[in-house]
Amino acid sequence: MNQSPNIACPECGQLHHYRPIAPGQTAFCTFCGETLYRNRTHMIDAVMALTLAGLILFVMTNLFPLLGLRAQGQEQEMHLFGASMTFWNQEYRILAVLIVLNIIVFPLFELLALLVVTLTIRNHWESSFAIFLYRWMREIKPWGMLEIFMLGVLVAVVKLGDVATLIIGTSLWSFAGLIVTMTAASSILDPFTVWRELDKTHKVKPHE
Amino acid sequence: MSNASELHTAHDAGLVQCQVCGNLSKAPAHLSKYDVMSCPRCGARIKRREQNNSVEVTWALLIASTILYIPANMLPVMSVYMLGKGQPDTIISGVLHLLEAGQWPLALIVFVASVFVPLLKLFSIAFLLISIQRKSRWRPHDRMRLYKITEYVGRWSMVDIFVIAILTGLVQFGNLARIEANAGAFSFAGVVVLTMFAARMLDEHLIWDISRKEEPAA
Ligand SMILES: [Zn+2]
Ligand SMILES: [Zn+2]
Repeated sequence: MNQSPNIACPECGQLHHYRPIAPGQTAFCTFCGETLYRNRTHMIDAVMALTLAGLILFVMTNLFPLLGLRAQGQEQEMHLFGASMTFWNQEYRILAVLIVLNIIVFPLFELLALLVVTLTIRNHWESSFAIFLYRWMREIKPWGMLEIFMLGVLVAVVKLGDVATLIIGTSLWSFAGLIVTMTAASSILDPFTVWRELDKTHKVKPHE
Repeated sequence: MSNASELHTAHDAGLVQCQVCGNLSKAPAHLSKYDVMSCPRCGARIKRREQNNSVEVTWALLIASTILYIPANMLPVMSVYMLGKGQPDTIISGVLHLLEAGQWPLALIVFVASVFVPLLKLFSIAFLLISIQRKSRWRPHDRMRLYKITEYVGRWSMVDIFVIAILTGLVQFGNLARIEANAGAFSFAGVVVLTMFAARMLDEHLIWDISRKEEPAA
């Protein structure tokens, strides 16, 4: 084959030729060992199913209370959104905004972006909008912190455990489910394949 | 497996790679220091080695977070009011209280996330920056691994902020018992955010670039 190398390792920049691989296989960088791309059957369908489940769980998590506390006949309930509002009420407004972004806005953006991306690939839609969303989803990814918030919930539950009576809210279960579906979706999804597929229906072709 | 090319890297071949989508495009012949090049596929800004200011920006962010690290540990992060009497807690005193109460697994989680990880980040980013500036060729694979670990674990420091948010949200029983957040939490969140940006700004390709120069051409 005489074609010029057309992909580079995202970690070390080593150039490679793209070669199709069999389903279930993975291609690695010959220099640093980083994963270049994977071939997984039904990847897009699986991610779309997980994303739809994730969106339902997201709505449930935000509708119902997360935790409650009973002490001396009084009861206090807290929703997911309420966890950031406490900072807002104490004048730490930037911190409140940061938390809303971490646990509500960015995870929701990720779910919606994944839905648009998988729909675009399945239905061969023009991909400019999906490319825009997927790009920002990739850049924002480290700032979505659902699983870290969950660890925070567990720490808080143990801390309060012997001081007062805790009420585990309905949404704690959907919240756990949401984390599982989102983690599964991002571990199944192969970014290289997504970009390759999106490129096929991209109308505004770059100059070569 | 795909074939390695005779040409070493995208950079050697006169190509630039988008760090967001991996797209390769031709490097323009002329680009002044302030010209911005964006990826033809996804529109993300492409960093080019010739005009790379990643080391300077990372240093600036690192120094800012080191300075913020001091109030983050000196100031109380939250106060517990029981029957009108308040007790402010710093991160360290919070860990010590947990130990006194015998909740050592919890103490360990909070210690690792809030004390160990931020320090690890500050030191490892400084170490990587110095090694890049001194054009070190020492164990590039291990330094790369250190970079990846640093980038991955940094976010987990936010757990303490979330714990404070949950505690202040739940424990609001007026004079009987209530928990308030304090300024230390604000500085601590600042340290986490700034070190996350610092790790992102550090162009890890610089670790490889210098090591590759010494390899015999194939
Ligand atoms: Zn590589
Ligand atoms: Zn791009």
